[in-house]
Amino acid sequence: MRLRDYLRDHVLIFTVYAAALLIIEIFLKAFRTDRQAMGVVAVIFILMAFIVHAYDFRRKKRFYDILFTALKDLDKKYLIPELLEEAQFLDGKILTDALRDCGKSMTENVTDEKRKMRNFREYIELWVHEIKIPVSALSFMCHNNKEIDPKMKTQLKRVDEYIDNVLYYARSENAEKDYIIKETPLNRAFASVAGKNREELQMINATINASDLDVNVMTDGKWLEFIIGQLMDNSIKYRIEEKALEISVSAKKEDDKIKFIYEDNGSGISKEDLPRIFEKSFTGSNGRGTAKSTGMGLYIVKNLCDRLGHKIQAESEKDKFTRFTITFIDNDYYCR
Amino acid sequence: MNTILIIEDDSALREELKTLLTNSGYNVEAITEFVDVAEQMKNKAADLILLDITLPNENGEAILQQYRKNSETPVIMLTSRTGDMDEVLSISYGADDYITKPYNPTILLLRISAILKRTSKTVKAISYRDVKVSVAKGSLTREDKEQILTKNEMLIFQHLLDHVGEIVSRDDLMTVLWDNDEFLNDNALSVNISRLRTKLEDLGLEDAIETRKKQGYILK
Repeated sequence: MRLRDYLRDHVLIFTVYAAALLIIEIFLKAFRTDRQAMGVVAVIFILMAFIVHAYDFRRKKRFYDILFTALKDLDKKYLIPELLEEAQFLDGKILTDALRDCGKSMTENVTDEKRKMRNFREYIELWVHEIKIPVSALSFMCHNNKEIDPKMKTQLKRVDEYIDNVLYYARSENAEKDYIIKETPLNRAFASVAGKNREELQMINATINASDLDVNVMTDGKWLEFIIGQLMDNSIKYRIEEKALEISVSAKKEDDKIKFIYEDNGSGISKEDLPRIFEKSFTGSNGRGTAKSTGMGLYIVKNLCDRLGHKIQAESEKDKFTRFTITFIDNDYYCR
Repeated sequence: MNTILIIEDDSALREELKTLLTNSGYNVEAITEFVDVAEQMKNKAADLILLDITLPNENGEAILQQYRKNSETPVIMLTSRTGDMDEVLSISYGADDYITKPYNPTILLLRISAILKRTSKTVKAISYRDVKVSVAKGSLTREDKEQILTKNEMLIFQHLLDHVGEIVSRDDLMTVLWDNDEFLNDNALSVNISRLRTKLEDLGLEDAIETRKKQGYILK
């Protein structure tokens, strides 16, 4: 609170004071009071007014300074009511009470919403597990009945992918830790993903070059498979029709890090789009052309990587390649 | 013939599993009443058990823990959950493997045969007719002639040998190869098979692998 603002706010009171002093002085003059006595009365009057307002200004300034410093520095601004001292003046008391009431009601509201979110998330997870049973039954039927068109299998695989998408989205958005970080063989995770996509990859005559994947990384196996699955899905979606898709994967050890490098020779990402690919709902110039793009895949991937403490980077050159590098930490802290 | 016991509460899935395993030459039994499951498991005397984690009355993991107290029969856990927690728990309770739904049928069969091979008490030396097969050395020996197979060729040969006299589809062979980190494409598979044929011919086995148009291959 600045002095100037305080004075401006109290302009009416000061005018009244001045008027009162003027009237008093006129009366004193009318009663032929001594000039010196008139001067003393004026000085006392002004001094009193000054003391009262200096005191008032100080206590208000103290209160509002705390409020504004807190407001500026606080990361979670809604915690303000907790920080305020008991105000020494009426306006301040009213404000504090109002803020506390607001805060309380908001907390109740947020807790309620959080509960609803959690219930919804739990329902989604339950639903995902239930829907997987008929999907499994269907995949067995496709296998047992040789007359079934293999195209059905491909569609069934897509259904399964979209189901997984829902599950991991529900998980990645939530702070709860439903993952376990443990030593995971990189080659098993990759082979499992490649196996799931094998039919489609063969159909488009893709080549996979895997080298040096025989390392263990500290991660959650299922989440990692989902992440690699999303990358592979994109490679298939955004391939260049005229040239055969080539996916190259490798792992590299660097000091206390292990880098997993995933590269394809697909249509790439333009320079303008590259910084934004991990944003939610961003589809870019590649995605807009096809109806398949939801802008969710890489967003979920980034989210999961952040959760797991992996770093993910993308490099690309339009119509040449796209390369993703996932960096895993590999040190004693984890391994213990 | 090996007997496999299926413990799965969803009837549609159970029936399909039965068909799948019966077609693959296993004797199949299933539990349909989910009370005292561990007790029933003991009485069935199967060679391998497929156990679903989410059962109506009891949790599969609890059943496994109870069952493991006095039985060594291999158990593969089936689940639709995709949390690593379940996997860690299951393995620590003594499961031999853990597969999440929807499972790839070929992979499920591969895992089953791998576990049965590992646990079968009579370790029979692998051989084909009068050819000695050494997986470790990657070689085939007949009389005094020896042929070295590549990893891919050995994987293909082993899988054909496991199903000797049956049609093995290209798709199954691909699944086996890809599951072993060998990401071949269609052409490469054909090349590998013709090389394997040549090597078998060099050992004096003409026409050992027969091609069935649009179905696959048979090792005779």
